[in-house]
Amino acid sequence: MFGSKKRKKPQRDPHINKLIEIVGEKEVLYEDADLLSYDCDGFTVHKAMPKAVVFPANTEEVAAIVRYCSTNNIPFLARGAGTGLSGGAIPLNREVIISLVKMKHLLSVDYENRQAVVQPGFVNLKLTNSISDKGYYYAPDPSSQYVCTIGGNVAENAGGAHCLKYGVTTNHILGLEVVLPNGEIIEISEAGVPDSPGYDVMGLLTGSEGTLGVVTKITVRILKNPEGKQTVLAYFDHIEDGSRAVSDIISAGIVPAALEMMDKTAIEGVEAGAYPVGHPDDIEALLLIEVDGIKAGISEQIEEILNVCRGRNVREVKVAESEEERGRWWANRKTGFGAMGAISPDYLVQDGVIPRSRLPEVLENIYEISRESGLRIANIFHAGDGNLHPLILFDSRKPGETEKALKAGTACLKACSDVGGSITGEHGVGIEKKEEMRFVFTDEELEAQIKIREVFNPDDLLNKGKLFPTPSRCMDVKKIVKDTVAVQ
Amino acid sequence: MGTKEVPQEPRKDTSVSLADAFGNRGAEVLTPKSEEEIAEILQKANQEGKKIAVEGGGSKRGYGGTKEHYDYTLSMAGNKGVVEHKVGDMTVTVRAGTTITELQDFLQEHNQMISIHPNWPDQATIGGVIAANESGPKRLKYGSARDLVIGLRVVYPDGEIIRTGAKVVKNVAGYDMNKLFVGSMGTLGVITEVTMKLRPKPKCESLVQVSVPEEKLQDLKDLAVRVQDSMIEPVSLELLNTALSKKIINQEAYTLLIAFEDVEKSCRYQEEWIYKHKPEGADVEVIHQQEAHHFWKTFKNLEPSGLTAPAFEETQAVIKIGSKNMDVYEIMKESAGIEAGVKVEAHGGLGHGISYYTLSGPERKVISAIQHLRRTAEEKKGYAIVKHLPYHLRDEIDVWGKKTSYFFLFEGIKRTIDPKNTLNHQRFIGGI
Ligand SMILES: Cc1cc2nc3c(=O)[nH]c(=O)nc-3n(C[C@H](O)[C@H](O)[C@H](O)COP(=O)(O)OP(=O)(O)OC[C@H]3O[C@@H](n4cnc5c(N)ncnc54)[C@H](O)[C@@H]3O)c2cc1C
Repeated sequence: MFGSKKRKKPQRDPHINKLIEIVGEKEVLYEDADLLSYDCDGFTVHKAMPKAVVFPANTEEVAAIVRYCSTNNIPFLARGAGTGLSGGAIPLNREVIISLVKMKHLLSVDYENRQAVVQPGFVNLKLTNSISDKGYYYAPDPSSQYVCTIGGNVAENAGGAHCLKYGVTTNHILGLEVVLPNGEIIEISEAGVPDSPGYDVMGLLTGSEGTLGVVTKITVRILKNPEGKQTVLAYFDHIEDGSRAVSDIISAGIVPAALEMMDKTAIEGVEAGAYPVGHPDDIEALLLIEVDGIKAGISEQIEEILNVCRGRNVREVKVAESEEERGRWWANRKTGFGAMGAISPDYLVQDGVIPRSRLPEVLENIYEISRESGLRIANIFHAGDGNLHPLILFDSRKPGETEKALKAGTACLKACSDVGGSITGEHGVGIEKKEEMRFVFTDEELEAQIKIREVFNPDDLLNKGKLFPTPSRCMDVKKIVKDTVAVQ
Repeated sequence: MGTKEVPQEPRKDTSVSLADAFGNRGAEVLTPKSEEEIAEILQKANQEGKKIAVEGGGSKRGYGGTKEHYDYTLSMAGNKGVVEHKVGDMTVTVRAGTTITELQDFLQEHNQMISIHPNWPDQATIGGVIAANESGPKRLKYGSARDLVIGLRVVYPDGEIIRTGAKVVKNVAGYDMNKLFVGSMGTLGVITEVTMKLRPKPKCESLVQVSVPEEKLQDLKDLAVRVQDSMIEPVSLELLNTALSKKIINQEAYTLLIAFEDVEKSCRYQEEWIYKHKPEGADVEVIHQQEAHHFWKTFKNLEPSGLTAPAFEETQAVIKIGSKNMDVYEIMKESAGIEAGVKVEAHGGLGHGISYYTLSGPERKVISAIQHLRRTAEEKKGYAIVKHLPYHLRDEIDVWGKKTSYFFLFEGIKRTIDPKNTLNHQRFIGGI
């Protein structure tokens, strides 16, 4: 495919030369063979090639790249680890990809003021690992935390299992340095001071999926480890009992640190994966519940949780007896998505949110979607905050199945929005759920958001074509998705 | 829902003296009963180039605003009531004109609460609290409005009704538009309905008051640092200066308010922890449940507001300072340098970085005290904004302090949403 080109040594694109001038020869990829791994992110159903990938080493270089792209009308986008699940980092318009992976340093930690300053390419888990010796940690814990970047977390407003009690990324960001789409560098709340006067631009940027600016430095809140922690595993014969137990726990006035659920298919997957823990294969659901805080108060809450579970006909319920056991349960849960690879060639992750009291009926609807589509759906999710993750299992080699999976995904999101929920709790809209934005927003509401984008990104050169179903553009995307699907 | 005659019979503003003192009032007061009415009023005013001042309970009339004349006051007082309370989902949707107390009383019956504890809860409306981004000492654990609001209904200046967020506790669909309106001082749209996350009412509430004489102030900082570096989980870590301690707990001392809200065993354990680590010679008082509750109630009604008639002989101002957590301590220490003749009552959160200073005294001296505080805060990369000040002084002291380098984004946002400056014109930073 690219072999013949190589030998000819074609004229290099002058834009590439310019980018090389900014960051150096070694920091720019532009040959097709090198670009291949940047044609998608964690949303693998859709692929498109970038123009180039650039690896800036500092904010000034990012600004120079952005300025160059912007004056020359070249579309560009930022990329962290590329684990995004909604296609946010996919170059739909032959973008120049600005990869932040070389800006990966922890710049400072201020324990007294409980804050840390990191570069955007710094990996989420590394932050906790760097401060754990002093008993501190960074709370947002997406399951991908061992690879995903904090810059990517800010862009997606990432969540995680422990966000039930501690909040999602936006609740932990104290300051941002951002390169705006015209190349200007701004610093919001430089010292990490709260309630910065003016509109909450930092809040807007967080979760804007890389469409408002490129984040180049982040001040985050760090927390002290809780004194105590206990984890409960509960097995249910009926999924409905498990779902009701979720609501009961919350209604009892307990605020668990995490409250996770898996259904039968999900359990089959995780048990076939790399971290099995020996869950019975004939249960319909399991709950993984964690309570943390002051040691003295935990056992009382655990007792209450055990009672709730018993009241909902739990088959077996146990408390982790050691840190090692707790660790195994969590590894089993946190690697859950990937584990589906053991029982299915492909899977599509969905991310709807519902009011948690509607869990039983929505799960039932999802099973109905599964029956109708003929595809298995595994559910492994943050039950405590109603954030579902239906994993639609399919085989892309079978003609038409990818399309079926996409359709089933959309149907799941419809089931969530129909009960007053949302189409995404943490993975973002990207290109994947653009059309589904219409399930939750009116044209006027979408327009209001687009107008905000225009304030920051008036020429729409930064991460163009994401998030919004503008009438003309979304038709194009649908067609592209269709074409891609057809080729596979 | 309400009638549709718009605008209804205009009511002459009777609270003239407050209006004279604090401004932010229109020639006529409109009290629409429904969102549709609000939308119609806005649309009409926008078309006709009329200017509207939006008001909740009026407690923040002295907060920002340099414009002499508005055509209308749009009072939200007629828009009250809980729209939807999903007990099991722990969310509530409420009309913006509902006061904090009304909402808390309602939730109390279900053993739930909104975990935002602003001043003047009997007067302040939830819409106003969110628009002004008000919070209290307990934000240390519970966060502030931006962390708790999950959905809004907003009427744009052109009468369009927009929903932001959703009624679920986790959501990243589209931009986080809620954030745009939290703290926007009503300059972008009229919030008509608010959906918030709730928390269970804590089973146990306690408050440890640790007081030390002035020369031992450092001991309180050391204690706070120690608490923050321990696994203790206080909901407040609020430092009070001597004037304020004297006023509330009759102690001529600096006081650290360390509150706990948890199950009983945890509260007791943590109280004991503080006892064990208290500075030598410190005075420690522990109060519980009703008594603690009562304390906070008093605490929340101390500062002057837009509803307090200004005193003849002296000027009162309230300053909000944002700084790094521990700079709260430094700034308070330096506030001792404020010239004599100004009474300074101050408190600030050593774990969250927000402080409030109530200044009273002769006008000129209050002005220079504000400048002193602002200088101190800015030296530490913080800011000082004037939350409450008589109207005639707000031209002289820029309420919002210096403009940020990205002020053009604020202008862009305002221009996009309210190009004709229909809403709360000149109320906000940089004359927005
Ligand atoms: C196995 C697996 C498990 C996951 N579990 C979770 C989970 O539990 N919770 C959760 O929330 N997510 C989860 N995710 C999704 C994903 O990891 C998160 O969205 C993560 O925040 C993406 O970070 P990244 O560095 O990979 O960003 P990328 O995928 O590289 O980029 C994501 C988006 O952010 C933008 N972006 C990246 N960096 C910047 C920057 N510096 N400035 C501006 N924009 C930028 C990109 O343009 C793109 O739109 C999971 C993904 C996988 C593969």
